[in-house]
Amino acid sequence: MGTWLDETLTWGNALIFFLWGVILLAIVLGFVTYAIYFERKVIGWMQLRIGPNRVGPLGLLQTVADILKLLIKEDTIPRKADRMLFILAPALAYVPAFAVLAVIPYTQDLYFADINVGLLYYVALSGISTIAIVIGGWSSNNKYALLGGMRSAAQMISYEVPLVISVVGVVMMTGSLNLRIIGEQQGNWFWEWNFLPQIIGFVVFIIAAVSELNRTPFDLPEAESELVAGYHVEYSGFRFAFFMLTEYVYVYAIAALTTVLFLGGWHAPAPFLDFVPGIIWFLLKFSCIVFFLFWLRATMPRIRVDQLMGFGWKVLLPLAILNVFITALYLELFIKG
Amino acid sequence: MFNMDWTGEYVAFIVFSAVIISGAVFMINFTKVVHMVVSLAAVFIGIAGMFVLLQAEFLAFVQVLIYAGAISILMIFGIMMTKHGDREAESKSRLHKIAAGIGAIALFGILFYAIRQTEFPAQEQPLHGAEDNAMEIGKLLFTGYVVPFELVSVLLTVAFIGAIVLAKKEANE
Repeated sequence: MGTWLDETLTWGNALIFFLWGVILLAIVLGFVTYAIYFERKVIGWMQLRIGPNRVGPLGLLQTVADILKLLIKEDTIPRKADRMLFILAPALAYVPAFAVLAVIPYTQDLYFADINVGLLYYVALSGISTIAIVIGGWSSNNKYALLGGMRSAAQMISYEVPLVISVVGVVMMTGSLNLRIIGEQQGNWFWEWNFLPQIIGFVVFIIAAVSELNRTPFDLPEAESELVAGYHVEYSGFRFAFFMLTEYVYVYAIAALTTVLFLGGWHAPAPFLDFVPGIIWFLLKFSCIVFFLFWLRATMPRIRVDQLMGFGWKVLLPLAILNVFITALYLELFIKG
Repeated sequence: MFNMDWTGEYVAFIVFSAVIISGAVFMINFTKVVHMVVSLAAVFIGIAGMFVLLQAEFLAFVQVLIYAGAISILMIFGIMMTKHGDREAESKSRLHKIAAGIGAIALFGILFYAIRQTEFPAQEQPLHGAEDNAMEIGKLLFTGYVVPFELVSVLLTVAFIGAIVLAKKEANE
């Protein structure tokens, strides 16, 4: 796909880019719709309930109905809100969430952009969503929204640091920031994937990633019972839907990123299973991570805000730095020496 | 001027220029401080786009991470703690406005003249290691520029500790 980018931009090429963008968008929207359905079902089963089962067969159309409801709802903007930023914030949150998907490789040959600093691109863009959340909270002119926005920003900034440092070990082992090369260089047996050699990094990454996603047990920004709903209290209709969409697109992005970085991407767990195409393996690992996130939500209570900050700075960050040192020592003593 | 190929690169250049210029103009024209920060963030992102076009991807995404991400959020944080409807007082002096206008035009003239006068050397051989410039930057930092690099990190640590000490002192009073 990369060769098209260097050609003269004809209408035909522009149309191809546009169509690929639309296809990815359709896939992502489909994922979000059924991720929400699946999440409600899984949590329902774990709590001995049935979950949505009324709209459509097995309740499959429940999310579609919910989205339709959001779209035809009245779009309210508080009179005292900062109108321009209030309108801008949902879009500003969603655009980076969708843009980070560009660098994720699905298989050896199926990828959108092959950037040599792909990992850095992901981290940099996802930071912009934080601005949108803070702006959304501030422009609503509501103290709960403001508190939610502040908490969210503090949390996302504190956990972005260990998140980035925890993947440095993987980057050191691979010698590249290119996600496609990182995926490619992991071995054919499952114990050669990065999650075992980089076990500290993997654990720190998973915890920090859950926190970046603002999901339980780190869902303080929208702690329903304390903050009403956090930064998006004042949003309704499709603007609210955009914030929710952003959250689930990040679930997609983080699950795909974890698969590529730590779980061997499209590699089969053992060489004799190679006859199954890589995309199937990718999807399997991807679904396991998504399920893991829902499972966490059904089992864990929410932690307190001071514990959250202390945990990020005093536990995760030193662990992530320790992981970098150990990896460097190992590479220096055993690989290069 | 219009005899260029319409590559994606050229279109992207125009888009990013528009983002940078309009962001900068809005930054000056807005009266609310939060709006200014948001338009400043747009300028940072536009500049990062320019770096991508110049094949300095590493620099571009570090720019987004640090300027558009961290610094903008820091500024918004600072502003949110202050009064909500804070506005800049309009300056009324007409003389001041005229003087500022003349200064701006003069600066533009100087820059334009300098750019027109400069002879850009013909494209030399492509930069060594342009393919993987993140790795090249890393190698340079840890071989040729290791002393300045370490000094900068010491400087940052000192500033960090200094900020903590200042904050502690204020909290104790």
